[in-house]
Amino acid sequence: MGLKATARKNAIHALLVYSGGCNGCDIEVVNAVFSPRYDIEQYRILLTWNPREADVLIVTGAITWAMKEPLQRIYELIPEPKAVLAVGSCAINGCVFRNLVGDIKHNPEVFAPLEKIIPVDIKVPGCPPRPEDIIMAAVKGVPKLMAAP
Amino acid sequence: MTEEQPRESVIVEKELPLGPVHPALLEPFRVRFFVNDEIVEDCEVILSMPHRGIERILEGLPVERALLITERVCGICSNSHAWNSVRVIEKGLNIEVPPRALFIRVIAQELQRIASHLIFIGHAMEVVGHETFAMRAFLLREEYMDMLYFIGGNRVHPAVPVIGGVRPRCEISDSLKRVILETLERSERKLRNYVGRVVADPLVMGRLTGVGYLSKEDAIRLHAVGPTARASGVEWDWRMEMFEYKPFTYDYVILYEGDNKARVIARALEIFECIKIVRQALKDLPEGPVVNRDWSPQRMKFTDSYNEAPRGELYHSYSLDDYGKLRHYKIRTPTITSIHSVEFAAKGDHVTDAVVTIASCDPCLACCNRVEIIDEKSGRRRQFTSMIEVIKKYGWRR
Amino acid sequence: MDLLAGVISVVVCLIGAGLAIAMGAVIPGIERKVQARIQQRIGPPILTPGFWSWLKFAYKWPIKPWATIPRFYESIIALGVVIVIFALLITLPPFWGVLGVASILGIAGLLKLEELIYVLAGSVSQSLLSVPFLRHDLAKGGTKLGFRREYFEQQAAFRALKMAAICSIPLYIALAVPFAVAKSPFIADVISIQNPAFFLGGILPLPSKPIFLTVPGFIATIVYFAGYVMLLNEKPFNIVKPKVDLIEGVFLEYAAKYRTYMYMLIHIFTFVLSSIFVTLFLGIPLDPTKPALLALHLALTLPLPVLKAVLAAFSPVLTFRQLYPASMGFTALAAFSLVLALIL
Ligand code: SF4
Repeated sequence: MGLKATARKNAIHALLVYSGGCNGCDIEVVNAVFSPRYDIEQYRILLTWNPREADVLIVTGAITWAMKEPLQRIYELIPEPKAVLAVGSCAINGCVFRNLVGDIKHNPEVFAPLEKIIPVDIKVPGCPPRPEDIIMAAVKGVPKLMAAP
Repeated sequence: MTEEQPRESVIVEKELPLGPVHPALLEPFRVRFFVNDEIVEDCEVILSMPHRGIERILEGLPVERALLITERVCGICSNSHAWNSVRVIEKGLNIEVPPRALFIRVIAQELQRIASHLIFIGHAMEVVGHETFAMRAFLLREEYMDMLYFIGGNRVHPAVPVIGGVRPRCEISDSLKRVILETLERSERKLRNYVGRVVADPLVMGRLTGVGYLSKEDAIRLHAVGPTARASGVEWDWRMEMFEYKPFTYDYVILYEGDNKARVIARALEIFECIKIVRQALKDLPEGPVVNRDWSPQRMKFTDSYNEAPRGELYHSYSLDDYGKLRHYKIRTPTITSIHSVEFAAKGDHVTDAVVTIASCDPCLACCNRVEIIDEKSGRRRQFTSMIEVIKKYGWRR
Repeated sequence: MDLLAGVISVVVCLIGAGLAIAMGAVIPGIERKVQARIQQRIGPPILTPGFWSWLKFAYKWPIKPWATIPRFYESIIALGVVIVIFALLITLPPFWGVLGVASILGIAGLLKLEELIYVLAGSVSQSLLSVPFLRHDLAKGGTKLGFRREYFEQQAAFRALKMAAICSIPLYIALAVPFAVAKSPFIADVISIQNPAFFLGGILPLPSKPIFLTVPGFIATIVYFAGYVMLLNEKPFNIVKPKVDLIEGVFLEYAAKYRTYMYMLIHIFTFVLSSIFVTLFLGIPLDPTKPALLALHLALTLPLPVLKAVLAAFSPVLTFRQLYPASMGFTALAAFSLVLALIL
């Protein structure tokens, strides 16, 4: 393992973008994963709020109309190499907001799944996923980062 | 509202927009501060980002399935949304709910209220900049999330109420009762300790005291609800009206200072009242079935229901057509009414303080919002249920 | 002979710079660990926030920052690192012979230059995160249009200017106290009155009467610590880059290699200020030719960052409402200690 891969493995900055779900996943990521009980920092993952600093982009929520463009722009801002984590059924398939619609048959407000908008590397299903799952998935994103040139 | 007020002449030097991806806001909403030097002279909150068209997708769904969506309106106070949506049909069709189910609903609601208030305190401390207190609040909250997990099987969406009672899985057995009582005992001591330390910290209190003042008149005029209003001396809590809460004795927390400190402390004190309610409910938990399946969907006229969510007054209403399908679902969440009062209260403070003020109404924007356009000349109004319609019709100005 | 002395001093300076970089890579990890333990969690490994982060950012692919003058914005941060290391170097023994540089003026001048980096960097950067993020603001029908729209970095530069004007005064006055005690503007004299043994040689020449243990020196130490936190923009004096409104202040747009420089700037600065404190107040200079003394010096630079981490864990962000009185109070305290130092 070269120095580059070791460095990438040992310091990972994660950015959370919440793109209009129900808040559940968002709170799970921020408050549970970064709270003392789960403490993701011990796995060398640090929370950041600046896309220029981030390696891993965590996206939660069904992408709403207003958040689609900011999400794309944030994705472009992150310097390569980067990995994208889709957390929650909302980001993966739209959860109830896309699949359980009444008379209108098709909900034009949400753009889920996330894959249609930006490339996704890891998916964490669940509504919301348990904090343990999120930690595991975030750690799973490491090999992709390490392998990048 | 604005027409009665005389227009003050303020000098706005520049605009400082924050969001929608921002550590202080977490949720996607945008705040535009209009500042003079660094003092906020005016402030505008743009809420429309998490619009998912919930009211529209609920249209025409069978009423039993609506619960899946209404619970997912908000991930912090999911139980109040689910509960309020079943209260509407129970009121409209006169469905009998077993008393044990009512008690379990109250327990779930109060546990979630505690978790929600702890999020608020943690978030407020994070916005103030005190990381240790924030982490500590999130650590304390984990115990309540665990209890919800034991009751409902999911940390965030426990899905306790169903039409006519509670889900049979959410039955509270004797051993669970003992676990909850013991945890409450333990965590109440920790909470007292924690709140005492927060209130005694001179630096944190120096940041909060006297900032973001909201008088009682303004709170009523701008329709603040819930703890935000109660911290300004408005003596109103929807729990006073709800028959579910009649068997319990507890106090309402009313404070008169109306600043950020009062808004934080009001929630901190409310936690202890919630613990009181949970204790009483567990003690007098009546025996019997937990769900009444003896109902069928039928025509129902427009019914509404109010509930005290952790953030204040929550309104749900709908009617059913002949096939038991939902029609005209309307939700009004507390944040939408409260946020204007803090928008008002933020004026006149430093930008960093104004962010704390905005956060102090506990904004939870994962709610519906709608657009109303008023034609000034003819006075004609048109309601839109989606942003897309507005944009399609009127376009962007660039 | 002169050539040999010249070579030795160059080597000493290189070792000094290397030490500054090495300590800068470790100190943030220690701080982070202390904070994490206070918050009842395990926290990241010691090398993660410093060393590995630097390396990782250096290996990221380059990106063009959103700034009005991108090249200037990028180069200014490298200049900052050089200034910081130079501020350390002028406290090293080889520089003591150079009159006029190895004096209080040299240190104060370089630190002041350092503060200007913030203002310069902030005024040209234009991050996406504030103004251009969303078009909703300018949608048709908006009532609040036509104002000058400020980027986070510009606001941060504005605040940095305020901080440089007001909140760094305590540090400079406290810095003057050892020189006042020595009644000389040169670092060599400050060392010689505290640590005469140093000039006589020996393996471990300990200071006989450090200024830290006198009354004015102790007061000045307290003020120096406050000024240290203010100059580094750490909590509670981090109004230049509070996470809650300006996210990272002026450094928002640095990416890849330049973010490494930015972290180097902050982390090495932490060490350098701490090292200057040990040199001036305890009389133990950073001298790579005496290994025992060097180890002692490096060990003594740790308490200040650790205290800073503890303070940061227990305090909120202070706004200018609290900062002005705090700064004035510390200035008064520093002036008091300066007067004491001149009288005694
Ligand atoms: S997946 Fe579930 S919990 Fe997560 S944002 Fe969507 S609805 Fe909320």
